[in-house]
This record gives sequence, C-alpha cells and structure tokens, in this order.
Amino acid sequence: MSSSINRLAARTRWRAFAGALLVCGGLLLGTAGHAADPVADLRSVDQDVQTLKKQLVDLNRDLFRLEEELLYPASTQVAVFLSLDVGTFFALDSVTLKVDDKEVANYLYTEREVQALHRGGVQKLFLGNLKAGEHEIVAFFTGKGPHERDYRRGTTLKFDKAIGAKYLELRISDRQAALQPEFVVRQWE
Amino acid sequence: MQRRDWYARARQRALFETLALLAAAVAGLLAFPVLSDARPATGGPAPDFALKATDGRNLRLSEYRGDVVVLAFWASWCGPCRDTLAQLNSLPSAAGEAAPVVLGVNLEGDGVRAASVAQSLGLDFPTLLDTRQSVGRLYDVDRLPLTLLLDRDGVVRGAWSQQNVSGEEIVRQIEELNL
Repeated sequence: MSSSINRLAARTRWRAFAGALLVCGGLLLGTAGHAADPVADLRSVDQDVQTLKKQLVDLNRDLFRLEEELLYPASTQVAVFLSLDVGTFFALDSVTLKVDDKEVANYLYTEREVQALHRGGVQKLFLGNLKAGEHEIVAFFTGKGPHERDYRRGTTLKFDKAIGAKYLELRISDRQAALQPEFVVRQWE
Repeated sequence: MQRRDWYARARQRALFETLALLAAAVAGLLAFPVLSDARPATGGPAPDFALKATDGRNLRLSEYRGDVVVLAFWASWCGPCRDTLAQLNSLPSAAGEAAPVVLGVNLEGDGVRAASVAQSLGLDFPTLLDTRQSVGRLYDVDRLPLTLLLDRDGVVRGAWSQQNVSGEEIVRQIEELNL
C-alpha cells in the first residue's frame, strides 16, 4: 500500500517538474522572440495601445448613450437648452431654472462659457423626466444689462408634455428697437 | 410530532432572519454612496464647481485642468486660516516656474466681509465666495483650514486639514509627486 503511494507521489513530482520545465522553456522562447526585433515589437505594442484607447472611447460613448436612454427614456424625457443670439445688451451671469415651481438648475457662467455661447454654442442646461400633462417652466436670468446695470429678468412657458421627448430652448437675443435684451422660451418641434 | 414542529418553526425563523440581514446589508450598500458625503479622498477626483469671486468674475474649477491647483477653504473667524492664506500668497515666489494656481474658497455668507479680509491680507489669488456653503458641503469641509492639492487632471494629491501648511511643504509635495 505504502509503496503504491510512494510511486504515485514520485510520478506526481516528475509531472510537476516536467510542467515547470515546459513553462520555463516557453517563457525563454517568448523572451528570445521579443529580443529578436524590439523596435517592431514596440511599434506593435503602441498600435495595440492606440486600438485599446479607441475601443475605450467607443465603449465610454456607448455607455453614456445607454445611461441616458435608461435614466431619461424618450417617453418622459425633457431637455432644456440655452442659447445666446448676439447678446450685446446683456452680459449673462447666471440662470436659475424652475420646473413646476421646483428649482432644477442653477448655473453660473464663466467668461469662457459666455464666449462659447456667443460663438453659437448651445448648452444643455437641464435633462430630466416629466410625466405627460401640462407643466410650467420658469427661468430667471441674472447679469448686466444696458449701461452695465444689474439685470434680472424672468420668462415662463406652460407646455404640454405628450408621449415622446420634449425639447425646450431658452434664447437670449437683442431687441434692437428697444435697445433691450429679450428672453424667450421656445419649443423644438 | 411537537418536536418536528418546533424544528420547522426554528428553521423558518432562521431563514427569515438571514433574509432580513441580507436585505439590510443590500440596503446599506445601496444607501452608502448617498449617505456618505465624504470629502474627496486623496487619489480621487475633485468635484467640479463654479463660484463668484470677490472681483465679480465667475470661476469654474474644471477650467483649470492642465494646471496644478491649490484649493484653500477658509473663513474670517478662523485664525489659523489667515496664516495658511499668507503662506499660500507667497507660494508663487517660493515655487518659481512650477507655481500652482491658488484658489481661496470662503465659506461665509457675508461676501463683503470675505472681500475685506482678503484685501487686508493682500491676497493676490482669487477669493471665491461660497455663500450658500454648497461647495463646502460638496467637499465635506468640517474643519478649517482645509487645503487641497490637485494635479493637472483635477485629482486630489494632497490634503491638509485643521493644520497650517507652509508654501515649502506644498512645493516639496509638488516636486515629490512630479506634478
């Protein structure tokens, strides 16, 4: 009985030794292969890294889309955007947004952000969910008006939310005739 | 027969208790990120914010990506904060070309007082007014002064809470971390 156990142990040891030899051999061969052309190998690693980076960016984009679709399904989604048209009579400082009398966004604009809006940028100020029915949106704009005076104006819109995403735009423009800024909320069709 | 009933009841009770414990553990795990409003840890990203400075400009932290930033939370009633602010004010000359951007965040509701203290200390860096303490809550500031060192990617790389930090120490940290 004990001799058969000893034989089994010896056979196992021999197998482990042979396995270790094989692994070491493989590693040595692999290293030798690497050493053969290090420049080509580096190039290949660089290409792999670039491919991996691109895949990561794609994955991140897909995940972002998926997250938006899950968190804000089209049936309840409401998005509010802000744009600036000319805006010589108003220097934007901040916007407070209320939906159904509940503050949902309060945004402070830096100089760089205002410049981006002047260049035609459109900012997504709010993204949320609302059930179908009538809702009210109120936006308060704070900044400097004509003659560098502190300026605070509000604008409001009642809208019907049906099945399907709703997109609203807060638009700041100049009313040349009155030399005053104009604040409008409009619905995207 | 009675014994078998007792065993069945005990098994049922044990199962119920185990399930209740599991449910509590899951609820705890889910609620943890909401309830724990912890300060951004070293190695973690510094939350973005925008605040009005005493000179009327609005400044956003993320617009300083690419620069090493020192965030200093302070209040006028905090004596040690003034020493820290004085140290940070001399940072550009101490650090030379590798000088970080310093942003002071005042956590009081009184912007006029904050501006007056900043002026009396001769601060050259912007003083941001967190009048609603929203940024203070975001960073879970419970002790002052609090100084944070952020790297060029907006990651917290050093934190000094309730202690004065010298300009030399910040420069040494920047050099050690190769920021």
